[in-house]
Amino acid sequence: MILGIWVLAGLPGIAGAAVTAPPRHIVSINLCTDALLLALVPRSRIAALSHLATDPRLSPVVALARGIPQVHGAAEEVLALDPDLVVAGRYTTRETVLLLRRLGIDVVELGLPTSMNDVRRQIREFAQWVGEPGRGERVVAALDARLSAAAPDPGTPRPLAAIYGPNGYTAGPRTLEGAVLRAAGYANLAGRAGIETWGWLPLEGLLRGRPQLLVFEETGHAPDLAHRVLAHPALVRVQRSIAVASVPGRLWSCAGPWVGEVVQRLARLRQEGPVQGRGR
Amino acid sequence: MVWPFLVLGGLTVVLFALSLATGPRGAPGAAVPDLRHDPELLRLILVQIRLPRALLGVMVGATLGLSGAVLQGFLRNPLAEPGLLGASSSAALGAVIALYFGLSALFPAALPLAGIAGSALGLMLVILLARGSGSILTLILAGVAVNALAGALTALALNLAPSPYAAMEIVFWLLGSLADRSLEDVGIATPFMLAGWFLLLRLGRGLDALSLGEETARSLGFDIPRLRLEMVLGVGLSVGAAVAVAGSIGFVGLVVPHLLRPLVGHRPGLLLPASALGGAALTLAADLAVRWFSAGQELKLGVVTALVGAPFFLYLLVRMRRVGPA
Repeated sequence: MILGIWVLAGLPGIAGAAVTAPPRHIVSINLCTDALLLALVPRSRIAALSHLATDPRLSPVVALARGIPQVHGAAEEVLALDPDLVVAGRYTTRETVLLLRRLGIDVVELGLPTSMNDVRRQIREFAQWVGEPGRGERVVAALDARLSAAAPDPGTPRPLAAIYGPNGYTAGPRTLEGAVLRAAGYANLAGRAGIETWGWLPLEGLLRGRPQLLVFEETGHAPDLAHRVLAHPALVRVQRSIAVASVPGRLWSCAGPWVGEVVQRLARLRQEGPVQGRGR
Repeated sequence: MVWPFLVLGGLTVVLFALSLATGPRGAPGAAVPDLRHDPELLRLILVQIRLPRALLGVMVGATLGLSGAVLQGFLRNPLAEPGLLGASSSAALGAVIALYFGLSALFPAALPLAGIAGSALGLMLVILLARGSGSILTLILAGVAVNALAGALTALALNLAPSPYAAMEIVFWLLGSLADRSLEDVGIATPFMLAGWFLLLRLGRGLDALSLGEETARSLGFDIPRLRLEMVLGVGLSVGAAVAVAGSIGFVGLVVPHLLRPLVGHRPGLLLPASALGGAALTLAADLAVRWFSAGQELKLGVVTALVGAPFFLYLLVRMRRVGPA
């Protein structure tokens, strides 16, 4: 919110006046802003999306993004479209963002969500930036409905889950993936191992932690060493006796309403039996 | 002459047992219940995770020590070892091509076979380049050239590979690691390593004769070109398979024969089995150090062997300059 005000105050010619007309020609140069745009704004107001918007492995909005022009994020491409608002991520190429601002273009940046509250806040904030606050509230309300259906009964012990990825990396509590796990009613093995955001969990450590649910990302991959550990015989054998879930990476790469779908899917495993909380 | 073998053998057994008893340092500590109460999990971890690591430590180490001793004996060059002579980096190139472009997914033995092909070709190239010249320096320079070429081609192959992780994985191929190996890795590499050892260990008598000079060895009835072929095949098979599953681990083949030579009376023939045991012991020790001293993500094994081997290499160079080639 504060960032939005700061950016508006910098616009030439409207110092002191509130902007009332919502932006009509928005360019997005970040995957997560692509997705939120498509969720909140009519297509006619979107001038271009990033080239990742139609990547089936990463984008939660592939079908919606078809037919909309794409850019690769270079300042020149963006300028040529003459946008009235550019939406980017906090880690979008700094030089590009700074250059666009120096040329007088309004650029707002989305941060990295680390909790469900961050997700709600981002949806609302983004809705304000693009002039669709009402729609933003409706999207948050729908997400909240899914989250409360998935929430565990207070007082019941949370089963232990672990997210395991290439090179043995796991997501801790302060990541979007960790927040999804928490909202679905699980405790996170990474947190217990002292990993707060992203970190390496050796295979032996994963097994000794005795998770009741293993969560893998579903994306197909080319051969390399990073995925070897995921096919290790010890891990394969352990999967015979514990629950395993496979989540499409595109559903939790960005904050947005699709996150509710993952939460519900994981919660169902807990609610319908395969994963039993065993009171630790 | 038995006691050095008993000591080396005993040391290897002790280090093997320690390796089985050691877990990764980064594992969650305090809240983990004791493994003794869960025999099935204990067995899973011991047999599927720690045992392959310890076994490969022994076999890869023995391969490196043995190959180093053979190369030093045959080439009569105190600085010879598979890493410096391009056998390891060429093996890595072969393995990278097989793994990242899907060949080993179709046919698992493609991985060690590609490593073997790379290793044998690289070594043959070095020997060809240094042919005729008796100088130690020429051989080392040929090794430098082949290493540079193989390294560049490996980096290129990884850059062209479809997987986005490939480019960063060059660290594994250049420095080696035994972390999270499986019994499958042991299975595909062992037959080739054993075949290589079989060829190399038989070269003992030929190396003893060669230490008296090429003419003398020939007059004693040894066929030098045939010895050379068996050496290239033996080193290619064993080092090629070892690198295919563990990456290229340097300096073991350089250090071990030098340390053990005085203990076996400077006889190249006896040095071979001694170096195999010594190489196994050194590699196991380095792998223990990797687990004891890493914070966060594990150090690559080659870092530890280089920390030991590179200063040793410098010491050898300095000694050679003062005393003349040993």
